[in-house]
Amino acid sequence: MSYLHAPRLVFTGDFLSDVSTVNNDTAHYNNATFQPNFQDPGKGATNGWWNPEGGAVFDFQNCAVRQIFLPDGTTQTSQSDDIIIGQAVVGAEGRPTGKMVDLDPDAQMFSALWCVQLRICTANGDLLFKGDITTTSFRDLQMRQLDGGKSNGQPLGASWTSVITNIEWGVLAEQSAFLKTLRATTQNNTLAINMNPFGYYYNHNDGRFSLGRIIGSIGPYFEGEPLTFAPARRLYGINYTPSARSTFFSTSNFLVEPDSKRVSIDFGASFPVADSVGTVTYKQDLRLAVSKVPQTGVASRQTPTFYINPNDFIEIGTLDYQSDPNWLNQTGGIASFSNLPDATMAALSNSQLLLITPSTSQPGQFAIIAREAIDGLVARADNFIQRLDDGQSVNIDFYAYQWGNLLPNTSISITLDPATPDTPVGPQNPISELYGNNFPAEGLTFDGQISTNQQGKAQMLLTGNAIYSPRVYIDGQIYFITYQTATVDQAFGTEQVVVHLRDYFQEIANPVWSDISEMMIQYSNLYPIMSKYVVNLADPAALAEKKKILIFAFSRDINDTMHMPVTRDLSSTKRNTILNWLNNPQIAPKTVVRSEAREARTANPVAPGTALTDKQTRYREAVKAKNGSFPGFSATNDLFENL
Amino acid sequence: MLQIDSRYIEKALSANALEELYPLVQNAVELEHSTIPPYLTAMFSLNPGANPVQRQVIHSIVIEEMLHMTIAANILNALGGHPVINHADFVPEYPGPLPMGIGNGLIVGLEKYSTDVVKNVFMEIEEPENPLVFKSVSLAALPTYSTIGQFYQAIQQKIDELAPDELPGEKSKQVTSSFFPADELFPIYTKQNAIDAINIIIEQGEGTSTSPLDQEDELAHYYRFEELYKGKRLVKDDTAPNGYSFSGPAIPFSAEGVFPLFPNTKISMLPVGSEEWNRMNEFNTSYYSLLSGLHTTFNGQPGMLDNTVGVMYDLKLTAQKLCATPFPGKPGYTIGPSFEFIVPAGS
Repeated sequence: MSYLHAPRLVFTGDFLSDVSTVNNDTAHYNNATFQPNFQDPGKGATNGWWNPEGGAVFDFQNCAVRQIFLPDGTTQTSQSDDIIIGQAVVGAEGRPTGKMVDLDPDAQMFSALWCVQLRICTANGDLLFKGDITTTSFRDLQMRQLDGGKSNGQPLGASWTSVITNIEWGVLAEQSAFLKTLRATTQNNTLAINMNPFGYYYNHNDGRFSLGRIIGSIGPYFEGEPLTFAPARRLYGINYTPSARSTFFSTSNFLVEPDSKRVSIDFGASFPVADSVGTVTYKQDLRLAVSKVPQTGVASRQTPTFYINPNDFIEIGTLDYQSDPNWLNQTGGIASFSNLPDATMAALSNSQLLLITPSTSQPGQFAIIAREAIDGLVARADNFIQRLDDGQSVNIDFYAYQWGNLLPNTSISITLDPATPDTPVGPQNPISELYGNNFPAEGLTFDGQISTNQQGKAQMLLTGNAIYSPRVYIDGQIYFITYQTATVDQAFGTEQVVVHLRDYFQEIANPVWSDISEMMIQYSNLYPIMSKYVVNLADPAALAEKKKILIFAFSRDINDTMHMPVTRDLSSTKRNTILNWLNNPQIAPKTVVRSEAREARTANPVAPGTALTDKQTRYREAVKAKNGSFPGFSATNDLFENL
Repeated sequence: MLQIDSRYIEKALSANALEELYPLVQNAVELEHSTIPPYLTAMFSLNPGANPVQRQVIHSIVIEEMLHMTIAANILNALGGHPVINHADFVPEYPGPLPMGIGNGLIVGLEKYSTDVVKNVFMEIEEPENPLVFKSVSLAALPTYSTIGQFYQAIQQKIDELAPDELPGEKSKQVTSSFFPADELFPIYTKQNAIDAINIIIEQGEGTSTSPLDQEDELAHYYRFEELYKGKRLVKDDTAPNGYSFSGPAIPFSAEGVFPLFPNTKISMLPVGSEEWNRMNEFNTSYYSLLSGLHTTFNGQPGMLDNTVGVMYDLKLTAQKLCATPFPGKPGYTIGPSFEFIVPAGS
């Protein structure tokens, strides 16, 4: 079961993400070279990017339930059909909003939602249901906007998949047949949710600064299934658009249900849009089909398009989206084809799904826009983003599927990526030396070879070991751990488990200001909203004056929205040391020299200038694209050119 | 001098059963809340880093108004009533009169900080029954008026008269917090607890009849505002008639260190769908969330209070950003927080 199963609802609206951006630049973490203008808005490493005063707030705005899909295959769009349709989807009430934060400046591709509550209410505020969205990070970043994001500045979109727990049903829930069915279907009073954010505004245009569009769907959850991705089949884009220098329809989930002879495909995260609010203006003839022959094409500039002969596929149906430019916002981009012929269902059980369109350059042929993963294989890690202190261990859960079914006895090899080199100060890196990632290798212990069990699931025990400031002025290290099955589908590539391992630090029971000043000054530099409006984190007297509220915040659980630091990047020993100081603020320096011997910093094993792997290079480019420092995206007038 | 519509005092004094006090104590909760938006608006208008004493003084008074609101809600719960906070009627229309006809027509708005506002609004709100006059005017015979303090005294008297020693409300609904000293915010289980708690509200607001200090030896609100108005600290002075004079250190004030908020900003004054409109919406969403959270807190879930503290920070940060934002179409002004009761909705 997943957000794609029936019954499911679709909601659409905006999200507010007031992320802070001084911390988008790794060099800004160096207190020694920090300058006040790094807190000013403006592009370039010597400024604070587009939202230096961000406070990490995440919230739903203008979101409402657009339609529901029922087990019998019908879609309802009117409140007269079910009370839930048209109701508001809003965030927390009576507690602070959720938060959106990156893992680390060296790992900005996994922006996570923390402590987000979702409520569905009537216009009077009467509750249908509410619950808490379990922390989840971006997956499947992909190109969305054909206009290159010219107004908003960010043409990419992504997905957050998660579960909703602590569900409380309102009195009004009884009046919704949909909710009654959903409650009866789902397990453990948990729901599956997927949200596709895109159209985010870096720019002060259209009244939408720091807003984006969000498309969500909520469906039943079944115990034992992954929490951060749908146990679904996957379609990968293999058509390269030269004018946009990009591939659209990069990743889409779909579900095949033999009992109802149904295919449900979700283009909510992938359907290309004309603008930042999800308008679809092209009218291309797009069809779903099952391929009779294996498809292995991979998009590239050299081979932008792959074709298929009509004899080689079974057509499922045509996507009906052209009549309404608001189709994506209304439907969430999910299309279901029910009561399919037995032959189609039989083919789908062991053949690839395709998204195709009639070719203009090769009449009679069809161009393949996207194809299912080779052999229908999908293997993904669930809890793939980790924050670890030394001595902590965590089991990373892996799931393997073929044609949508869990796949036993699949071996997964797991490798730490090579260390990346340090970058000395120079014309391209004007502020501070940057330190590499993925070292020391002994910082993490894990089993490099695992295999799925009879249930198609595997676990990898990951342990963090003591490391000693490999990045000097930023706590801990970022490790990218790539995992893959025996064959890698290059249309999607590999995925990674990404770990922020915090530095070894021994808690100081009776600290003085100089024991915590570097940490506090760094937070003060990176998050000016705090020092400007709440308390000057760099001023011990000011901290002492506000110690009550600071103790309150620094002692909250990491899953409490009020937890400090909001970035959730401090080890417990450092956080406890700050708490110890706040409980007894000693401003004067210690009279005796501290006896704790500092461990020598771990040196980078690779020399500056060492070439990055292709994947690491692509990752750096992708980070720039995501965090607003990419020089410019290309727009395209014709997504389906030369097909 | 600040008056309260004497009907409210008469209603209190003529009560024959505890239930008849419920609407009056509910009024008290509303009154304590109603002063917070004007005070906060003035405080948020102070530029970050500028006018620190003004900020600190208003902040300290706001915190005590929050305490008073909490105490009043605790009393209502202790008497067996139910505080209502998540309702449109709970929020006054600014500019407008405060609840219960306070101030005999005193119109209170949401404005930037100025010594005029301190003198003409804030000191009026907090004016004691018999303000002590320090070294300027002789103590002429002052007429007696009904004040907020007298209103609380009337309720206090009636609780004493009508209530059993053990109050009937559910004990589990009492709200306490580590953010307030236990001798100021304590659970109200008994008649004596209620009487003591009301004394805290009266004294923190007005001082005692013989001293500007309350029982915690802090200046009452009225005199803290008067310090800001006079720009001088009120200090002990044996040569002065009441033992105090405004002869302490100067309190500097920089008018440039105040954002020029457009008075009584409303969301309807902003272009619909603009960035500024969205931010105001965000502010009012936080305000609604806060009232709603407080309602839950005071209706059986006292543990929720901690969460509302977090919402207060959301509210504050959004408000401060608004105050620094130029007002579209009104050159020379920035946007004030509107404190409007708006239920967040879908589109």
